[in-house]
Amino acid sequence: MLDRLKDSLDLSVFWEYRVILLSGFGQNLSIFLLAGILATAIAFLIGAARLNRNWFIRTGALGYSEFFRNTPEYVLLVWVYYIMPILLTNLLKTRFDLSPYAAAVLALGVAYSGFMAETVRAGLLSVPKGHVEAALALGMSRRAILFRIVMPQAVRRMLPEALNQYVSLFKATSIVSLIAVEDIMYRVSMVNVDQMRPLPLYTGAALFYCLIIITASQIIQRLTNGWRVRGWA
Amino acid sequence: MGDGIINAYSDMENRMTATAPTIRVRNLSKSFGAAEVLKDISVDFQEGTVTSLLGASGSGKSTFLRCLNYLEIPSAGEILIEGVPIGATVCNGTRKLHSPSEVARMRMKLGMVFQSFNLWPHMTVLGNVIEAPMRVLGLPRKEAVEIGRQFLAKVNLTDKESAYPARLSGGQQQRVAIARALAMQPKVMLFDEATSALDPELTGEVLEVMRGLAAEGTTMIVVTHEMRFAREVSDRVLFLHGGAIEEEGPPEQIFGSPKSERCRRFVSTVMN
Repeated sequence: MLDRLKDSLDLSVFWEYRVILLSGFGQNLSIFLLAGILATAIAFLIGAARLNRNWFIRTGALGYSEFFRNTPEYVLLVWVYYIMPILLTNLLKTRFDLSPYAAAVLALGVAYSGFMAETVRAGLLSVPKGHVEAALALGMSRRAILFRIVMPQAVRRMLPEALNQYVSLFKATSIVSLIAVEDIMYRVSMVNVDQMRPLPLYTGAALFYCLIIITASQIIQRLTNGWRVRGWA
Repeated sequence: MGDGIINAYSDMENRMTATAPTIRVRNLSKSFGAAEVLKDISVDFQEGTVTSLLGASGSGKSTFLRCLNYLEIPSAGEILIEGVPIGATVCNGTRKLHSPSEVARMRMKLGMVFQSFNLWPHMTVLGNVIEAPMRVLGLPRKEAVEIGRQFLAKVNLTDKESAYPARLSGGQQQRVAIARALAMQPKVMLFDEATSALDPELTGEVLEVMRGLAAEGTTMIVVTHEMRFAREVSDRVLFLHGGAIEEEGPPEQIFGSPKSERCRRFVSTVMN
């Protein structure tokens, strides 16, 4: 028992394969970044559409965010990788193929855009109507009001919640090995086949994820604390 | 047809004569659903005069003020600023709404001060004041800063220019809001219960700034509950009731010998 425990904390095997494992982690990181950008971009469109005057646009956006908020990432990942290409091939009458990497970015991007759209919506709503009226009364254009008055405040209010979602997204990148993206988990299982030492390998992966996320969160929190001190957020 | 030509002529005349009122309101009505908040109001505001709007809550005075710069879109009627219509043009009885950019251009002529200050918390005091001169008038930053400082000095807040609004008292915030409106050098200043959200000990500094503006001959329309201010500073008082002007006249008349029974009752209630 104690031997097992000791073995699981002996991370030398993790260190030994660091190059292979790190290059796998590079895949996770780049999928996270691209999916994060995709999710954020869609979230702004859908979040703003949730507040549109037009009932159809508003309801469509609500449907979108409800669908993706309530569908597991794993199901989306499998659907995008296996099902969507078949549908598109039949629809477009040309062969349509998606690399595992592209499918991972797309699936995780849309999966998290639903959550983030709600964050964007809440952030936009948190800007008092009076701030917009004051700008209107001074003759400012809608565009200037959006970019100078509403967005800077809304984004600051969104950040703490968005940070949580980026953390979730980052953790979710660990499922992409299921469609054969050669990420860190994929590499861990490959090394394991070779070495037959699952305990230190999977424990190492868990600690590695945890360490990266804690460090990143700390850095971002330091940055945003400065705003709070100045009374912005 | 003939009427149209005559109207066009009188419009042109309005635009050309120096005595055209700074703001002319014609047959203004406003409904929220079934509730009629303003009923067919017609009134002129002359350059260099201070007008106070009094009335019980729900009498429509704030809505009236917000209609003047089209923060509320009137249901009917016409508003002319120096002879030029804002928000909509009435021609042969039909109303044509203007585009947002046209409305924005007219709004520049009216400065507005709100009950809740509405300063932008992510900008410094100076940032709040120079934002519209830079974004709307297109002034270079240096020039906008110069103008901004000039108006901050006017409201006695020179030393606060790099502070953020959250660090200021309510009275200071409202004075910044006044400087922000003044920096656009509007033709008319609209005050929507500018002191109602302030603690009693802070209303004085804001009223003092407003008195100063009045003394300089600023055209002002003031919705207020400060009866002393209305009595001492205004040239004219409008008493609103149920969305219509119940009585209007110089403050001596409104406070001394009001003609309408409602106005008399209102004045005697608020003065005691």
